[in-house]
Amino acid sequence: MKDLLRRWLLTFLCVGGFLIGTSAAASEAPTIKYPVPPPGDYNGDVVEQPIEFPHDIHTKVNKINCLYCHTYGRRSKVAGIPPTSKCMGCHRVIATDKPRIQKLTEYWEKRQSIPWKKVHDVPDFVHFTHERHLKKFIFDNEDLVQNLSVDTVAPVCAACHGDLREMTVARKVKPMTMGWCVACHEANGGPGDCWKCHK
Amino acid sequence: MSSLQNLIDNWSQYRKGIEQGGFHHYEHRWGMAIDLNACIGCNACSTACYAENNLAVVGPERFAQGHFMHWLRVERYWDQPDKEFPEQGASFLPMMCQQCGAAPCEPVCPVVATYHTPDGLNAQVYNRCIGSRYCNNNCPYRVRYFNFWSYYETSWPEPLNMQLNPDLTVRDKGVMEKCTFCVQRIRTAKDKAKMENRKVKDGEFTTACAQACPTNAIHFGDLMDPESQVTKLWATHQVSRVDEQGRPRHEQDKKNPDLRGYRVLEELNTDPSVMYLERVRETLA
Amino acid sequence: MSGNELNRRGFLKLMGWSAAGAGLAGCDLPSTVTLEQGKETVLSYLSPEEYVIPGIGVWYASTCMQCAAFCGIHGRVREGHALKLEGNPDSPLNRGKLCQMGQAGIQGHYNPDRITQPLLRKDGKLTPIGWDEAWSLIGQKISNAPGERFAWVTGTVSGHQAVLLAAHTEAMGSKNHFAVEVIGPHVGRAVNQDMLGEAMPRLVLDKAKLILSLGADFLGTWVSPTHFATEYAKFRSGSRGMLVQVEPKMTLTGGNADMWVPIRPGTEGVLALAIANVLMKGGAKVPEAAIAAVSAYEPAKAAEVTGVSAERIEKIAALLKEHSPSLVLAGAPVEGHAHGYQAAAAVQLLNIMLGNVGQTIVSAGGFPFPQLAAKSGSTRDLIAFADAAKNQKLDVAFFYGANPVYSAPHFLALPEALQKIPFKVAFAQFPDETAEAADLVIPLASYLEDWGTHVAAYQPEEAGITVQQPLMERMYNDTIGFGDALLKLLKLGKSEQYAAWEDYYAYLRNAVATLPAEYKAGAANDNAFWDQTLQKGVLKVAAAAQELKPQVPEIKLPDVQPNEGYPLYLVPSTQLGLWDGRHANLPWLQEAPDQISKVVWDSWAEIHPATAAKLGIKEDDIIEIASEQGSIKVKAYLFKGVHQDVVAVPMGQGHEAYGRYAKNRGVNVLKILDPVIDAKTRELALYGTRVKLANTGKNEPLVIEGRGNNSQRGRKLVVTISADQFRKTEGA
Repeated sequence: MKDLLRRWLLTFLCVGGFLIGTSAAASEAPTIKYPVPPPGDYNGDVVEQPIEFPHDIHTKVNKINCLYCHTYGRRSKVAGIPPTSKCMGCHRVIATDKPRIQKLTEYWEKRQSIPWKKVHDVPDFVHFTHERHLKKFIFDNEDLVQNLSVDTVAPVCAACHGDLREMTVARKVKPMTMGWCVACHEANGGPGDCWKCHK
Repeated sequence: MSSLQNLIDNWSQYRKGIEQGGFHHYEHRWGMAIDLNACIGCNACSTACYAENNLAVVGPERFAQGHFMHWLRVERYWDQPDKEFPEQGASFLPMMCQQCGAAPCEPVCPVVATYHTPDGLNAQVYNRCIGSRYCNNNCPYRVRYFNFWSYYETSWPEPLNMQLNPDLTVRDKGVMEKCTFCVQRIRTAKDKAKMENRKVKDGEFTTACAQACPTNAIHFGDLMDPESQVTKLWATHQVSRVDEQGRPRHEQDKKNPDLRGYRVLEELNTDPSVMYLERVRETLA
Repeated sequence: MSGNELNRRGFLKLMGWSAAGAGLAGCDLPSTVTLEQGKETVLSYLSPEEYVIPGIGVWYASTCMQCAAFCGIHGRVREGHALKLEGNPDSPLNRGKLCQMGQAGIQGHYNPDRITQPLLRKDGKLTPIGWDEAWSLIGQKISNAPGERFAWVTGTVSGHQAVLLAAHTEAMGSKNHFAVEVIGPHVGRAVNQDMLGEAMPRLVLDKAKLILSLGADFLGTWVSPTHFATEYAKFRSGSRGMLVQVEPKMTLTGGNADMWVPIRPGTEGVLALAIANVLMKGGAKVPEAAIAAVSAYEPAKAAEVTGVSAERIEKIAALLKEHSPSLVLAGAPVEGHAHGYQAAAAVQLLNIMLGNVGQTIVSAGGFPFPQLAAKSGSTRDLIAFADAAKNQKLDVAFFYGANPVYSAPHFLALPEALQKIPFKVAFAQFPDETAEAADLVIPLASYLEDWGTHVAAYQPEEAGITVQQPLMERMYNDTIGFGDALLKLLKLGKSEQYAAWEDYYAYLRNAVATLPAEYKAGAANDNAFWDQTLQKGVLKVAAAAQELKPQVPEIKLPDVQPNEGYPLYLVPSTQLGLWDGRHANLPWLQEAPDQISKVVWDSWAEIHPATAAKLGIKEDDIIEIASEQGSIKVKAYLFKGVHQDVVAVPMGQGHEAYGRYAKNRGVNVLKILDPVIDAKTRELALYGTRVKLANTGKNEPLVIEGRGNNSQRGRKLVVTISADQFRKTEGA
């Protein structure tokens, strides 16, 4: 019974939340042209979070689209941490017996924000906007939009954040240096004007 | 390497003085028109600039040494030195970076920290600046301000720092800074327009100084947009940067010399993006 | 903005941030630039409104409380922090514009010297206590209804706060509400009331072809400066009106005049009568009651008194005759004398003679909700309060929005008088001089954290009630909104009818919901109307215009008395910046140069170079300015924009408390004022003080923006053309 409810909920969320069709159906990756990823890797620390959030369970197992939770990225320079209300939307009923979820519920009931630790950051003098990048690499990419799912979206996010389908808590795996940004801008036709990114 | 090459190649295009024909491929050319008949010298623009642009308050001692950081100052002159009393009041002049088309500050920067953007702005890239202050020495308008101190240590005691605008940085010691025409607002407007697949509309945003100005003395807009209010004002007052042949134009070229538009120190061929409209006074005995 | 009211308030609550916490994408100071992972905390929203998106600012409408003009503002809020204030375009007062005091309001909100918890005087020192103790102490002190021995001392209050304040005063069995305001047309209101039948008629600047302003700094510090500046822009465009300013010290408005005329302080009324005299000879009708006074001042005689030449007087009269309709204004220098009422009446007489009443001075109409109308502060109330305290007529005094200890001149001996009030409670945001003198301090929320409604005393066309709503959650949990504090006091006083309101917000909502139906046109229901009101920030109220009926009292001006011992006049000038001293704790305004002198962070004394030469004073000399009431030492600033018999020192500095930016900086010129009081209105005569100067022999440079750059030195920086040329090319 519980399993059924979970399945129904997930489908509902994915359809209602992001107009992406049924996520399960899009498991076969179509031929979508992705941006040329910038070269370079980084071996970031494992950052201890207040709740050990498993990205892999949400994305790889349950096929929830990255943009379902990080929805601000579509409309703002900041992708943002989803509000706790969004977590509770599912977790009022799902996996309520798990310690992580109990911790989440505790924060929610106490009306406290969860003090997440920042993993990906750019310096203060850099203007980076998710909105523009997502428009270019996701929403202006016809093939991708036709097949919107976690498996089509995640490779775009992975260019900067690594493949979160393979991580629990996020870890920095790309250098995120200016040279690395510029290499990507050159390979993918991004702007070269200093004041586009420096503030 | 190629990116640096690219930067230097493109940069030299923008560096062309107006007597060499200048740069003609602007996406935008942000400009202003400031009406000195309307300006009352109230300083609202300057304080609005402090609020918008994270300008440091330096205190009286450093102010006395010339270490103030007001990107926009209201200059005040007395034009009747021989009279016993200033019978025609004061002359006020809001003075900020004139975003010159042929900016004297740009070519002297040893590290390309100040450069010309495709929007016609004199950009200052803070993280690139090494603090040689050559640009400041070369600016005829004295509108560049140098961080002699780490003002963030003293200017925003908690919680004053919570007011800081996150859309731009707080500058550190050793860095030159100056008016940007509120580039963060420009950036937001351009991003928004691009997201909506349209051009930036005239009047959809303005600079902090223009927004605050109680008498609407400051007009801001895109000089490349033939329909913008600022373009029309420039045209009405017969001020333009270049003539049909692309040669620099000066005030004396105006067909109707009675019109009020002029650019401050334009005889230096700096091609400023700010047009002023002359102050007006009655001639009373 | 979302429409749902519950959510609007819920937004603040459910945001779930202590405001002091970091935002989602807050601004790092360079020192904290760290790209190390896991060092910074990002708090997530709990359950935000749909329109709240990290990285994108949301604008809320509210009301500026930096002066009593009550302009409408929009506050930009991002990640739960108020960041920037702008004018509210829907407000007919300021039409989207905001002066520098309004801009700097946010530095009061985030000020590092705010009071964050209740304080009680123990062993002479203000010591933190809990709320229970604070309220029980107040309850105890007012339990046996102190009646007339209770008083409120406030600044200008209006709107529903004024309603509750009046209710509380009444519940105490008292009539004592002293509203204190140093800057304001206190005498002018009385003159308008008597001569036009309305205290604050509407001025139509842009209809005037000439404005003759006798010291009315309407662009800087007079009545509603931002509103008048927007009107001024219209006045100066098209056919371009002419501005003649006559005053002892050049104000910001004087700095913009076509003709600026210095005048000996206290003789403005004489000048007005002399102009009337010329007009009378030119055929203008003089009301019966004024004929004697007008006839008494021939230009030649007036020239001797005023120091304005007879030709000048004739010229001004001729200009007035030529440019009709005109507008004649009387400002603080006219009002600020023992004969202030008479002088201001003489000025108003000109408007009546010139036919300006009904043209450029029209009725603002009666405000339909008199209980909400502004109770404008005055200096009369300051004096009355000091007297009441001195004569031991008060046992309990509550203070809010005024700083009488700073404002009161020495002659009122207020600090000593206050000691005779056994229980003084300051409802305060900052440790100013009055809070420092209180027995109990109740920490208030900033105006950007509070609810309220405001009605400006000066109402332009289409004005009404401006609404104040919090832009963000309280910075400090232990602060209280002023409306909430009033409700709490009423409940303590067992006023049953207020028990129903959980908080001031609930009270205000109900008050707005119970407005007559005609105000709610276009709103589906009360909730929608409330949302609409919050979104607009302004509630338009139609006032019934009436006809102004001019009446002229008998005018009698005294002769000017020479004062051998104190040969100079002291002008305590005002500035759009530090105002009456209330903004001295805002660093932006301390560092903002005075518009005329360009001095920052200090006090200065403006002296005419000719006078200075006579007295052997050079710029930056520290001089002693002595009145019969005391002396101040201040740096000299040589300036031609003052009358030669005048020394002008701006108000605002010289705080003995009030936080790090204000304390021990410059001098408080109000302290040495002579005990001169306007005979008719009992207002303090601010410009009636006589002083002498002495050079201390010491000097210290003033900090001046663009020091020494007073001349354009032949450069074409500001070019001036004639108004005729302007009219030729741009005239309407």
